[in-house]
This record gives sequence, structure tokens and C-alpha cells, in this order.
Amino acid sequence: MDIEPSDLIVGLLMAGLGLIGLILASGAMDNEMYVFGFSLFGFACVFEFGLLRRHFDRLEANRHG
Amino acid sequence: MFIRHEFIERNAFLLLVLTLVTIAIGGIVEVVPLFTIETTVEHVKGVRPYSPLEQRGRDIYVREGCYLCHSQQIRALRDEVERYGHFSLAAESMYDHPFQWGSKRIGPDLARVGGRYSNDWHYAHLKNAQSVVPESLMPHYAFLAETPLETDDIASRLRALRLVGVPYTDDEIANAAADLATQANPNADNADLLKRYPKAVMMPGNGREVTEMDALVAYLQVLGTMVDFADPANEHIQQ
Amino acid sequence: MANPAYNEAVVKKFVIASVFWAIVAFLVGVYLAAELAWPQFNLGLSFLNFGRLRPVHTSAGIFAFGGSALIGTSFYVVQRTCRARLFGGEALANFVFWGYQFFIVMAALSYVMGFSKSQEYAEPAWHIDVWLTIVWVAYAVIFVGTLMKREEPHIYVANWFYLAFILTIAVLHVGNNLVIPISVYSANGYSVASGVQNAMIQWWYGHNAVGFFLTAGFLGMMYYFIPKAANRPIYSYRLSVVHFWSLIFLYIWAGPHHLHWTALPDWTQTLGMAFSVMLWMPSWGGMINGLMTLSGAWDKLRTDPGLRFSVTAVGFYGMSTFEGPVMSIRDVNALAHYTDWVIGHVHSGTLGWVAFISFGALYYLVPVLWQRAGLYSTRLASWHYWIATLGIVFYISSMWVAGIMQGLMWRAYDAFGFLQYSFAESVVAVHPYYVIRLIGGLMFLSGGLIMVYNLIQTVRSPVTEQPFAPPAALAVAGE
Repeated sequence: MDIEPSDLIVGLLMAGLGLIGLILASGAMDNEMYVFGFSLFGFACVFEFGLLRRHFDRLEANRHG
Repeated sequence: MFIRHEFIERNAFLLLVLTLVTIAIGGIVEVVPLFTIETTVEHVKGVRPYSPLEQRGRDIYVREGCYLCHSQQIRALRDEVERYGHFSLAAESMYDHPFQWGSKRIGPDLARVGGRYSNDWHYAHLKNAQSVVPESLMPHYAFLAETPLETDDIASRLRALRLVGVPYTDDEIANAAADLATQANPNADNADLLKRYPKAVMMPGNGREVTEMDALVAYLQVLGTMVDFADPANEHIQQ
Repeated sequence: MANPAYNEAVVKKFVIASVFWAIVAFLVGVYLAAELAWPQFNLGLSFLNFGRLRPVHTSAGIFAFGGSALIGTSFYVVQRTCRARLFGGEALANFVFWGYQFFIVMAALSYVMGFSKSQEYAEPAWHIDVWLTIVWVAYAVIFVGTLMKREEPHIYVANWFYLAFILTIAVLHVGNNLVIPISVYSANGYSVASGVQNAMIQWWYGHNAVGFFLTAGFLGMMYYFIPKAANRPIYSYRLSVVHFWSLIFLYIWAGPHHLHWTALPDWTQTLGMAFSVMLWMPSWGGMINGLMTLSGAWDKLRTDPGLRFSVTAVGFYGMSTFEGPVMSIRDVNALAHYTDWVIGHVHSGTLGWVAFISFGALYYLVPVLWQRAGLYSTRLASWHYWIATLGIVFYISSMWVAGIMQGLMWRAYDAFGFLQYSFAESVVAVHPYYVIRLIGGLMFLSGGLIMVYNLIQTVRSPVTEQPFAPPAALAVAGE
């Protein structure tokens, strides 16, 4: 499978950031950290989903194009 | 000269470096000497770190954006000194992390509001400003009186402040929670509190439930009171 | 067919975002104006009161609206003037877009929840600042990377300004937001600097947020979109060079004019004042360069409302960059500081210059990006122009009167040598001008809504479809 280097680097970065979000939310001392941590995790999940979707859309377009 | 500029335009890295150098100069010249010239913060007696309750009140003042309507900086102008008191010294905000000098007066300056009004007046004014000043544009902060003050992290807060240069002693940090409770209880023995934090103002309450409003009023009541301008030693303070 | 050589998808996203946030910023502004005219609008609610809501307005206007417009146009301009596709691939560009929107939403939410750190235009708590730094580094990587892989040997002037904006904002952001959190798990913390040093650092930052975010970046926009819309070259290359270097050098020093007569040392105040006055010159150099580009094309102002916005923007820019240096003079500042004159000055710059130059760019870009023959309605764009301009006039003149009145009332003495007015009396005196300001803001908002309708119809309406698809060739030099 041919992965764009850009997709890979950004994907790994986002995964790390999402994990950090979860860790921050886990020890949150105030509401703001809770909200930020969980939102960051959610954002990372949606973003990763988007990266995967684009990757496979591109693969399919190449196959049919 | 313009032949050389075309040389810069063909070289992104050079453009980047020259830009960074150009923008760095002004900041360095204006900021660095404020840390190195010793008299920038005047040598004056009386300024002390905020007591735990006062500091918590300050945290609330900061988070509510009070500085957006109220300045805390009396300028060296005749009418201002007459209206608000002695012009503000740099030393008076040396422990203010962050500074709250403000840049707009939708309400009056608060640099020397400490001791000007009674505790009762402050409670009434914060709950419903228009009840004491009908023309006021201030929002109502009654919710502060209904919110218990978070006190679990008071020692961490003082430790963080010490890290950024506020000289809290180990003694003060160890007694942080106790001092906070003492200042919110008029019946408690406050001798130690006042030794650590002279001129701290006691807040009314039963000593059991400290609210965010108690903290805020404690902070307001100490503003501008630390330096004794009647003391002849403080007559000719120079930067 | 969209031009496959360039990443226009990310530009489109930023265009949509900037229009959305513009309306949010104007709406919150109008609500704040209502709160100041009638404090009952605060409703006693913690999350709606003026103190918590004001940073939502300033952040929405500067960072959400302004920032989205800047990043989007910079991506458009750098690709076309370098004849190179954005560096870093689609994923990195999408990260910058969505990451930046995430920053905006998190910041606004944190303010209403009660977590502002209360330093003007640097209100977000430490963890949100860290997030912005990550996104900003990615943005810089894309922009600088694209410059480095360019096919066009010369870097066009608009890119010098965008580059200066990106680099300087990074330096300012890090320098002014140094905070020690009470714990890594807490949003709360304390600034490393305090008192007078904190004040100087804050206004080194704050004035240059204006100088580099709201000025240098938007000058980049001006240097591309005005010549493009007028179909004329920039008036003077030499002036561009002098304008650029003198502007970015002088601006940095202006910060202390926010601190006249305070406990900031006299030497610093004097430096700030002197450099602020000098700054008038490069600012007007830029204005002249922008306006004179219209030479031989002034008639276009009658037919192209987008260009009309851009040129009027440059006029307001000239006005604000004259007013600013005047207000930086210590004795003028003694009257103006803390008054509504400052608010008037800010809004002549933000509404007159920043918003108008953005509207000009948006009216140009939307038809181009969505391949439409033109705007859905130039008449509507014209209505937008006149309503918004009138709104600005109401806003700034009411604030001039209110501000100068406040300043004079605060310093007035009666025949017996006592202060004549109580503070409360000055509050009552400015009330009618607060109402006029609200009306001005409502007009500006209405203009914005007209723009939203026009742009949506431009994209969706078959009336504006291109008659035929242009050949998918690379843009020529200077495109």
C-alpha cells in the first residue's frame, strides 16, 4: 500500500496529540482541562478518520481512473 | 542597494533571517533593560505577596476579565492623583502575575480602592452594582457569592507563584490553607496571619464556607494600601 | 475544472471559515455594544457578561475572521506567485485548517467558562497557546517550504509581508505567553513576568499583534488583490522595498505608547512615542503604493465593488495610521488613554482597514475559486459597501465624541478648584453615543449578512456558471 509521506507524518502526529488529550482529561483538575482533553481526543479521532477516508478514496479513484 | 535587494528576493532563507533580525531589535532594546536596570522597580517598603485569600480573589478578578472595564494604574497626572490617590509605583504591581493595569475605564480605576468602601458596600455592589450606583454599567456578579471557593490547590498555586518569583516562604506555603480560612473568619485568631501578611483585611463569614466573593473582596480591600505614602521615607521615590 | 497544479481546496475552506467567523465576530460585538448601552443585557449570567464575552469578540474578529482570511489568502497567493503547489501535502494543509478552527473554538469556550488569563489579545490559557504554537509551526513549514520550492526565481512582495507576519507572530506569541501552570492537568497558571516588565512585554506583543497580524499580513493581501482586481502593476517597486523594511523595523518599538504616564520608565515611553510617530511614514508609503496602483484604472471603482472595498480599506488604513501616531504623543495620550477614543481608533482600523480589505479579497476570490463568471449580484455588493461604510462612520464618530468627552470630564475642574465631575457622571454622559455606536455596529453586521447571501448565491446559482472551462494550464509569472 502506497502511503503519502505527508499523510503518514501528520497521521502519527495527530495520534500522539490525541493521546495527550486523553491523558490531560484523565487527570484534569478543572472543567476546562476536561473539555479540552476530550475535545482534542475527539478531534484527533475525526481527523484520523478523514486521513484514512482520503487515502482509500484516492486508491479507489486510481483503480477506476 | 537595489541590486542587492533582488539578491534577497531570490533567497528565501536570507529573507527569513534578515526579517527575524530586523524585528528582534526593538523588543530587545525596550524589554531587556527593564530587567537589568535595578531602579525600574522602586525600592519602597510595604509591598508584600498577596495572602492566600487575596491571591484567590485576584485569580477570580483575572478570570472574569475585570481589567477590561477597570484600570489599576493611576497615572502621574494632576487630576488623576486628585481623584484616585498617589500615582501608581512599579513596585506596587511587582507581584502581580499577570499585571492588571488595564487599558480602558468603563468603570473607575481601582488601584487604591482598598479601604475606600466597607466590605458590605463591596458585597452589595458586586451582587447588583446598580443598587449602590444607579448609573453603573457593571454586570451582576451574584453568582460569586453562591460559588464555594476551591481551596484544594492553594498550596500548588503559591508554589507556582514562588517559581515565577513571588517570595512566599516555606512557612507561608505550609500555612496557606489555614491562613485562607482564618482570613474568612472574623472570630478566628488572626495574629499569625497578620504577621505574615500585614494589612490583610478580614472577611465576614462563618469560617466554614468561603465563597468566591469573599476572596474577591479580600483582594479589592488590599489594593493600593501596602505602601504608606504618609511615611516621609516614601516622599521622593525615583525610578 | 479546478486548477490541479494548486491546492485550492484548503483556500476554499479558509474562505468559508473567514466569512462564518466574520458574522460571529460582528454579532458578539453588537451584543457587547448592547450590554454597554443597557447593562440589563448581561442577564446576570456568568457566561454572557461583558468581562467574559469581550475576549470572544476580539478573538473572533482578529484570530478567527482575520486569521482565517490571512492564512487562506496567503496559501492562495504564495502558490500562484511562486508557481508551486503548497509544500507538505494535503494532510498538513488540512491539519493547519482544522487545527486552527479547533484553536478558535477551544479559546472562545474557555473564555465563557471563566478561564481567560486576561492579557489583551493573549487571553487563551497556556494549553491552548501550546496548541496554537503547534498549528502555527505547521503553517510556517507550509509557507516557507512553498517559497523554497518555488519555480518563480523572485519572491513577490506580498510574500515578504506574509512571511514577516508569520515569523513575527510566532516570536510575539511565545514571548508574551510564558506561563507556569499550577499543574500540567490544570488550565490555570501564572505569567512568568509581573508588573512593569509584564506590562512592557504585553504591549510589545499587543501593539505588534496589530502591526503584524492586522497590518503586515493584510498588506500582503493588499499587494496581491489590488493589482489583480485593477489589472495594474503595483505603483512602485522601490517604494515596496522601503515600505517593507522600514515598517517591520519601526513597528516593533511602538508598544510603550499604550503605557504613557504609567509606571513604565520615562525612557521607554519616549522611545515608544518617537518610533510611533516615525511609523507614520512607512505606513503612508504603503498607502500611497496601494492607492497609486489604481492609476489609469480609477474607473473600475464604479463597476467593481470588491475593488471599491479594497481601495477604501487603504484609505481607512491611511486614516488610522495617522490617528495612531497622533494618539501616541504623550500629551495627546494624557487625554485619550482609557477613553472610548481608543475604541474608535481600533474600530476605524479593524472595520475600515482589516475587514474591508478582507471583503475585497473575498469578493475577488469566491468567483475565482468556485469557477463562476462573477458575483451573483454586484448591486448587493454595492449595498454592502455603502451600509458598512455608513456604519463605520457612525461607529467612529460616536466614539470620538464619547472619548474626548470622557477625557475632558475626568480632568475638568470647577471654579473652586475641585474636580467638577464624578466618574459616574461621565458614564451617563456617553450613553447616547453608546447607542449610536450600537447602530453603527448593526449596520456593519447587516452589510456582512448581505455579503454572506451574495457569496452563497454566487457559489450555488446557475446564473453565475462559467460559460466554458478555461484550459488547465499553469498560471504565468506573477499570476
